[in-house]
Amino acid sequence: MQYEKNSLGHPRGDFLASRHDKLGWGVKKQGRSLWTRNAVKGISVRGESRKREGRIEWRKWDPTRSKVAAALIRTSGDPSFLLPDPGSNCLYLGASIGGTVSHIHDIVCGADNHHGGQIVAVEISPRMVRDLASLSDSRSGLVPVMADARRPEEVAPFLSSKVDWIHQDLSIADQAETFLKICLSFLSPGGKSLLSLKAASERSSDGDDKSRFNKAERTLNESDLRLIERIDLRGMEEQHVLFVCEFNPTS
Amino acid sequence: MKIHFDWRLARVVDDNCEVVDEIEWDGRITPSTIARRLGKIQSGRLLPEVSTLVERFPDAEIDKMGAINDPDWPQHDDEKDVFQMATVELAKMKVADSSGDIDRRLDMLVSSAVELRASWTTSEARCVEWAGLFITEADLDLQRSAIPRAIADSSKISDASDKLGVSPPKHEPSELEWNSMRSQAQFVVDTSSMLNQQEDAIREMASSHVPSLSALLGPISAAKLVVLAGGRERLARMPSGSLQVLGAHAAMSAHRRGAPPPKHGAVLFSMPQISRSPRWVRGKIARFLAGKASIAVRVDHFEGDPWSKKQVDEINKEINAIREKFPRPPKR
Repeated sequence: MQYEKNSLGHPRGDFLASRHDKLGWGVKKQGRSLWTRNAVKGISVRGESRKREGRIEWRKWDPTRSKVAAALIRTSGDPSFLLPDPGSNCLYLGASIGGTVSHIHDIVCGADNHHGGQIVAVEISPRMVRDLASLSDSRSGLVPVMADARRPEEVAPFLSSKVDWIHQDLSIADQAETFLKICLSFLSPGGKSLLSLKAASERSSDGDDKSRFNKAERTLNESDLRLIERIDLRGMEEQHVLFVCEFNPTS
Repeated sequence: MKIHFDWRLARVVDDNCEVVDEIEWDGRITPSTIARRLGKIQSGRLLPEVSTLVERFPDAEIDKMGAINDPDWPQHDDEKDVFQMATVELAKMKVADSSGDIDRRLDMLVSSAVELRASWTTSEARCVEWAGLFITEADLDLQRSAIPRAIADSSKISDASDKLGVSPPKHEPSELEWNSMRSQAQFVVDTSSMLNQQEDAIREMASSHVPSLSALLGPISAAKLVVLAGGRERLARMPSGSLQVLGAHAAMSAHRRGAPPPKHGAVLFSMPQISRSPRWVRGKIARFLAGKASIAVRVDHFEGDPWSKKQVDEINKEINAIREKFPRPPKR
């Protein structure tokens, strides 16, 4: 198969051609909408629509409410690269009430966790953890953790090994530095990590949105992570950019 | 030598990654027991197995990230489900614990009181105007505070005008109209007693949570500052310049775009030392008071001896000195 290269040198797949393709197990794109295979049939996490296809139930993944879904639509590379594999070990920082987490759980664990995956969802606010914990009641493999994501030692007790996939979505200053610290502590070699960077959370002394994004990009480029793509989420999530990274400690 | 551990196993590993000693937890594996152990690790306390290994190998260093970094660390796939249930239980325990956080409770109380006051102000003004439309002889300034009660406690409008000591209205409201008016007045009366109740609760909570700051600024203002800062700790770690402009968000963001800086935020301005001072010393007094308030909240947060009235009087004396030093506005 022929690949073009995008601006960062990553192979560029023709996303339109694979419009009806699955993006890997348990996810598909149909027309303009994304769906994940519902692990808990008959239940919507935050009022999203569901549809039946034989024995399978699909749950709509709204890209205006989930940065990962928005990135899947906006990426110029192979969208399935952004997602974790079924049965893998994942870490999600800034889980909130677990909207996006539930879709990742659909993919990684599936119904009754038949894939044997795990997703550790970290959230600092008790109000959010309250909802996250009740979501976890019905989703085995989803581990809710009330902790400060900036302190790896508060998260470490819940992981038995390094993880294959990390998504960080925190509203704090120095998001890129925190992301690096987290990835170096928890990401396994060859693992993938996504950083949703919210410009409004960075310090106002760092200049306008663009220079805040550029500063984060520099930080990632100077690190052991390999920056693969920078995805602008404008139109779905304002003032946000999602960075896609891979961890190759030897290179 | 290092000690690596997780909730079920603790190990001493030497510099060549050889296992020197290990203790496996032999307790009963249930969600609750695991949750308790996880909570213990998360809050930085040592599990008994780890303490035993520390006693056996005093030179060994405890590595909290050790188990994750160790590729040979045993995995327990058969316990995944019970582990997951334990994490849910722990998360629920920690959520339940958050009601022990005084900052959160103060936030609810202060926010509720602020909203209630806003609602009371509009409703009270409407009630007085409504009554004034009918009872034209009542003095809306001097009798203002008596009006809602008088309306609420009367069965018809002429009773209300009797209570206010003036002649009855020329036109009477219809029955439904009068009932609406009366229940609106009742709402104003109820809201003011609710507001008093909530402010009493704030006073009590602030006086014990931030005693020195309460002594300096009054408990209500002290509580508002704590809530605006997002907690006592954050207020204590805040530079006094930030404390000075708490509650002046609009003015601060205008300042970032080039406007002159605000002299003080809403909370400090509500202090008579500032709002009753001539405008040319307000900034100086606000800076001085913010500095003192900043020290006061640090005393409270880092467990110092709470300030007494004597210290507060001293500060007020200095504020007067600043005011007397600048009796006239600066020349332009």
